Amino acid sequence: MTSLLSIRHVEKHFGRVRAVNGVSLDIRENEFFALLGSSGSGKTTLLRMLAGFETLSGGQILLNGRDISNVPPNHRPVNLMFQSYALFPHMTVAQNIAYGLEMEKLPRAEIRARVDEILGTIQLSALAARKPEQLSGGQRQRVALARALVKRPQLLLLDEPLGALDKKLRSEMQLELKRIQHQFGITFIIVTHDQEEALVMADRIAILQHGELVQCAPPREVYEHPATRFAAEFIGVMNVFPVQRDGMRLTAADGSLIHASIPEGLGAEIVAAVRPERLRLDAETCDNRLSGRIIATAYHGLDLQVHVATPAMAKPMVCRVTADAAEARNFRAGDLLTLGWNSADTRLFAA
Amino acid sequence: MQDRRSLVLVAPAFAWLTAFMVVPCLLILALAFFRRGLYGGIDYEFTFENFAMVLDPLYARIFLKSAWIAGLAALIAAVVGYAAAYAIASMPRHRQPALLFFAILPFWSNYLVRTYAWIVLLNREGLIVGIARALGFSGEMPQMLYTEGAVVLGLVYNYLPFVILAAYAPLSRLNPEISEASRDLGAGRWTTFRRVVLPITLPGVATGFVFVFVLSIGNFVTPALLGGGQFQMIGNLVYDQFLSANDWPFGSALSMVLIAVMLVLLTAQTFANERASTGRQSAEPVDG
Repeated sequence: MTSLLSIRHVEKHFGRVRAVNGVSLDIRENEFFALLGSSGSGKTTLLRMLAGFETLSGGQILLNGRDISNVPPNHRPVNLMFQSYALFPHMTVAQNIAYGLEMEKLPRAEIRARVDEILGTIQLSALAARKPEQLSGGQRQRVALARALVKRPQLLLLDEPLGALDKKLRSEMQLELKRIQHQFGITFIIVTHDQEEALVMADRIAILQHGELVQCAPPREVYEHPATRFAAEFIGVMNVFPVQRDGMRLTAADGSLIHASIPEGLGAEIVAAVRPERLRLDAETCDNRLSGRIIATAYHGLDLQVHVATPAMAKPMVCRVTADAAEARNFRAGDLLTLGWNSADTRLFAA
Repeated sequence: MQDRRSLVLVAPAFAWLTAFMVVPCLLILALAFFRRGLYGGIDYEFTFENFAMVLDPLYARIFLKSAWIAGLAALIAAVVGYAAAYAIASMPRHRQPALLFFAILPFWSNYLVRTYAWIVLLNREGLIVGIARALGFSGEMPQMLYTEGAVVLGLVYNYLPFVILAAYAPLSRLNPEISEASRDLGAGRWTTFRRVVLPITLPGVATGFVFVFVLSIGNFVTPALLGGGQFQMIGNLVYDQFLSANDWPFGSALSMVLIAVMLVLLTAQTFANERASTGRQSAEPVDG
């Protein structure tokens, strides 16, 4: 695999705040890459550095092997789709899209042809003469995408592209964005705080925390084998509880034995973690077991979430039970049961 | 219900304006249709003579000259004021209120005092000449006070805060990502300004321009103080008719024409702004 973009030990300091702290990443050609983190994680600052709107305090950014760290934004073969869309309010849809091509001083006929083509691709040909204020949120989002894509950048950056859309439209656009990325064969780097969005769309996810890279891996890897406790709790739902370590022996707060493979370099302060869908209710066969009592159930359509109070954890543990299993057995608050899971599904982290 | 409540709120202001501004103005303006009495005073005899006199080349020229001076002042104020507003809007946000405060500060001192200050600066033995001499310049100094230039300078100086405020509003509201998007799409700083920032914020400058023009064309204090005795603008002409020539009907006719010009400009400006801010409302957004 060839690396299109190399981010090397990149730093950004605002006064004494280290917004981005020594991040290194390699992004491949044709990759759909997600920068995931909560606000203040440095993900947007990193994206703005890639676009050329923030100078680097340290490190290098290489595009196709060329150092672009000091290239101004208008001379980078990189385009950014802004979170606010930043459409030009005084221009029509067609003029907005043509603007970037006019800056390249292309012949009029070619500009026209390319604008028409992309308007067709995003299904907005009928609205070419509208002003942005006359469009719905979803339409504006597509114009913003078209305006960046029509430049045929080597790298397209998207800052929370779906953040302003309602939930239903958002899940439609997740697939639409993936389709467009595939069709155009352009590398996408998307910034998002929505872990579900990152899991659905990205080929690889980089998790950032306090300006530092926590983990960079494909979605499945990030979900199943989080690198740290933060990554484990940030992605999806995770039941995390403290365990006592005595040599190779692990015990929960109530004294129950916990079976898991202990990674090297783990100290004495340990937490165990298990995903809700890995927990079994009434499971006498699993090698890890805790007794508990149901305190609440939450119906989600596809599945039932059962909240179980156990002596191992201060908060109730969350279990996901499929709709079929939930129908077979009527779970009710107050029921006593045994929670179980396999040692292979147990993750251990430094507390 | 809502309508009635707003009517109640608007009524006092409306009544005040009608009783103390519109009615007196109309009374004065009505004089324009009567004849001047032989020894001052008014002969109540209907006539259009006063309006015919406005078209006399002597007075028409003063009208045109006033429009030229006011236009020049408005143009200079628009350019300088926009630049100042742009600079203020580019500063860190927490500094902007203080900068605006300083830009508007002169406005709170007396108009006459401010205008007299320019006499102190510009006259033959004034501060500017003094500084030039002190710097070793010994030649003949050009006449600065009592020129057309001094009048324009005085008007620009006095009305500049209007333009700064009018231009600052859209500039400070402009989403910074809009300029960044232009840069991102390949435009340099100048092209970004010319094709994106300026067109979006121009309505504010246009408002400022019309304000300065309207306030300048009827002004009589600045031309009288900085333009010297012979310098006449429409405002001075009106002043003379009422206070020295005792020709109230002609003064009224002049005022009426002046008011008509201002109303046309302000109305055009209001409509232009409305269109710029709301766009074409008829076409509804289509979801998709």
